[in-house]
Amino acid sequence: MTTNIMFAGVGGQGLILMTRIFSEVAMLEGYDIKSNDVVGLSQRGGMVWGNVRIGDKVFSPNIPTGEGDILVAMEPLEGLRWSKDLKENGIIIRNTKRVYPTLVQQEKEKYPDEDVENLKSKYNVIELDAFKKAKSLGKKQVANVILLGILAQHLDIKVDTWKKVIKENVPPKAIDMNLEAFDFGYNYK
Amino acid sequence: MSSVNKEVITGNEAISRGFYEGGGIVAASYPGSPTVEIIEKLKSYDDVYSEFSTNEKVATEVAIGASMYGVRSMVTMKHVGVNIAADPLMTFTQTPTNGGFVLVTGDDPGLSSSQNEQDNRVWAKFASMAVLDPSDSQEAKDFTKLGLEMSEKFQGPTMLRITSRLCHSRGIVELNDRIEDNVKEFDRNKEKYCMIPPASQDAQFFIKDRIKKLEEHAYNLEINRLEERENTDTLIITSGLMYNHVKEINPNASIWKLGMVYPISEKKAKEITNKYDKVLVIEEMTPFIENELKLMGIQCEGKKYFNFTGELDISDIEKGLYKSDVLKNKKEYEESSQKTIARPPLFCSGCPHRPVFDILKKSKTKIVVGDIGCYSMASLFPFEQSNSIISMGASIGMAKGMRKAMTMIAKEEPVVAVIGDGTFFHSGIPSFVNLLHQKKDNENITYIVLDNRTTAMTGGQHNGSSGNFNERDDMQVNIKSLLKSIGFNRVKEIDQYNYDSTKKLIDEEIAYEGLSVIVANGPCALKYKLNKPHFYVDPEICIGCRTCIKTNCPPLRMKKYEGIEKLKSSIDKEMCVGCSICAQVCPVNAIKSSAGLNKEGENIDN
Repeated sequence: MTTNIMFAGVGGQGLILMTRIFSEVAMLEGYDIKSNDVVGLSQRGGMVWGNVRIGDKVFSPNIPTGEGDILVAMEPLEGLRWSKDLKENGIIIRNTKRVYPTLVQQEKEKYPDEDVENLKSKYNVIELDAFKKAKSLGKKQVANVILLGILAQHLDIKVDTWKKVIKENVPPKAIDMNLEAFDFGYNYK
Repeated sequence: MSSVNKEVITGNEAISRGFYEGGGIVAASYPGSPTVEIIEKLKSYDDVYSEFSTNEKVATEVAIGASMYGVRSMVTMKHVGVNIAADPLMTFTQTPTNGGFVLVTGDDPGLSSSQNEQDNRVWAKFASMAVLDPSDSQEAKDFTKLGLEMSEKFQGPTMLRITSRLCHSRGIVELNDRIEDNVKEFDRNKEKYCMIPPASQDAQFFIKDRIKKLEEHAYNLEINRLEERENTDTLIITSGLMYNHVKEINPNASIWKLGMVYPISEKKAKEITNKYDKVLVIEEMTPFIENELKLMGIQCEGKKYFNFTGELDISDIEKGLYKSDVLKNKKEYEESSQKTIARPPLFCSGCPHRPVFDILKKSKTKIVVGDIGCYSMASLFPFEQSNSIISMGASIGMAKGMRKAMTMIAKEEPVVAVIGDGTFFHSGIPSFVNLLHQKKDNENITYIVLDNRTTAMTGGQHNGSSGNFNERDDMQVNIKSLLKSIGFNRVKEIDQYNYDSTKKLIDEEIAYEGLSVIVANGPCALKYKLNKPHFYVDPEICIGCRTCIKTNCPPLRMKKYEGIEKLKSSIDKEMCVGCSICAQVCPVNAIKSSAGLNKEGENIDN
């Protein structure tokens, strides 16, 4: 049994940190893991995505089409883009803060608010303005860890393992803030 | 609990680890996606010297020198970097390698961050090198060590060929101790290393013999693994990441997984393939393995069913296996991503390239010769200010060629060429020197060196001039002084965050009937963390002209304000870094800095 987690967002939103933390957590819990990140040109405000697959034995780092269990979206349009890779009734954990792509900014296209909203009829969508909450905790960069906290609700992994790995992957000064962000996400309903 | 030390790391990090464990001592590179992190990770090992050199040729020569002196060495680069490195490589390969030498090439099927999709296995064959093709992080580490050993055993460089997907994919890797004390003596026999006749003529026999020995070695090579399945008439031959995609599908076929894809043992290939009616080769890009087998007279198919370009994902392989009748049931595929609005990359908030291309768009030039770096994105909508992007440093020579063509056919129009500082040091300097050859005073070309003080596109590595601006960097070449000493007498420097004076200068130099150079020297907003008080739009003053919007800065967009009928501009203060360009282009001063506003005012946010 392999569990497939997808991550989506905009270049610069820290997706690689999310896939790295989750990969290390999964390894410490004894899972086999393979992950993927898009790195390169798309760093500059383009679309980015990543995968983490955990299970007894995982071969490919790529998720077979339509086999995604959970999609963590740092941006609504990017969540929409990858939603088709989810299984029926899959879970979407979504930051509501929009980042407008060039075509919307230049008024060639409209931001697809309706399509984004419609995902709720097909999937189990959990959403919040993670940037706003993160800022209230001290820094918008902890938004990712809030979403990881929500993800942790849906996985059979010990909270202590998550916290251990988060501590190791964030600057020492920011540890308390990140743990608070994780707890907030873990208890978010 | 097992006592084995394990880590979950990327393919790139695994190569670094493999080099460390394999007793590697000197590594060099030029930063290029997808291999940048190899050298960055190597910085954490004190026993290894590593550097980002000025280009791939220089990096290769640094590694060659170390190898020749007797230590294990490595050079890493993106696939097109091997073109730059090819000159030393093609001759170095004729010499008997002393300290193990591994060349890591990051191929990019699908061109996710590259200008072409060349398959460097072809280079390796051309250079008489063995090619190792790992399928996950563990193998990336193991094959790096094996590559060093094989290099010494067969006295030739080894190519470790990885793809962008593998570079950035993570897997669990077992860690081992470093091999110590494997340094060899420097062989001072000049016959071996001075590649002039007759030594270079003898070397032809040496490299031919090396490949023959490698082929014999391949017969029992453990990393070429046959996974036999009963009751099947089908054999799949594959390597690298494709192997894991095939395992994911688990078709009814035996699998011959090649760890070394060149040279292939003809004897072994015939022994194995003879047992099967159907032989399929699954590989990305060119039919390299397929062609090797066909040259041996082995019946097989590959590119008939699997695409010659792009990445092969699991679904692509499933489709090919269905077409070739290996999979009996056709799976219904949906497009894996929802058709929705594209999100191409764009200049970051506060990027110093933005004002330059905004000005060029409004200028009299209709030709902008582009080059490789973040500023390549100027070719995208809405700027569309690059007529060409070919290779590192090409803009300088190409603009000269265009201008000479105009002279010869009696045409006249302004030509602008742009080049970044990293690219300038990588391969721009010889082209600049060449501009002075047969230069005519009335030939109008304007060169703009976009000096953002770092190699930005690959994540902010140092380059020849970044030591002037960053105390951790050491090289302090001054671009303007260098150009002056080469012999350019019209070189002007400008801070392009000062929009009006930059526009005046660029317009003047484009109008100037002759050769001129502008060094635009605003620092990379990302690397140097531009973070000034944000700007905001006063919607009562804004006339909705969209001059600011056209600069394509991420925080800007048109928005409906309460009580105002027309759409007016707005700025997302969370994304604004305070570069002020939007405020400077605004014709009615509707955009203002939040600096100096009181606490209440700081909440002004569009």
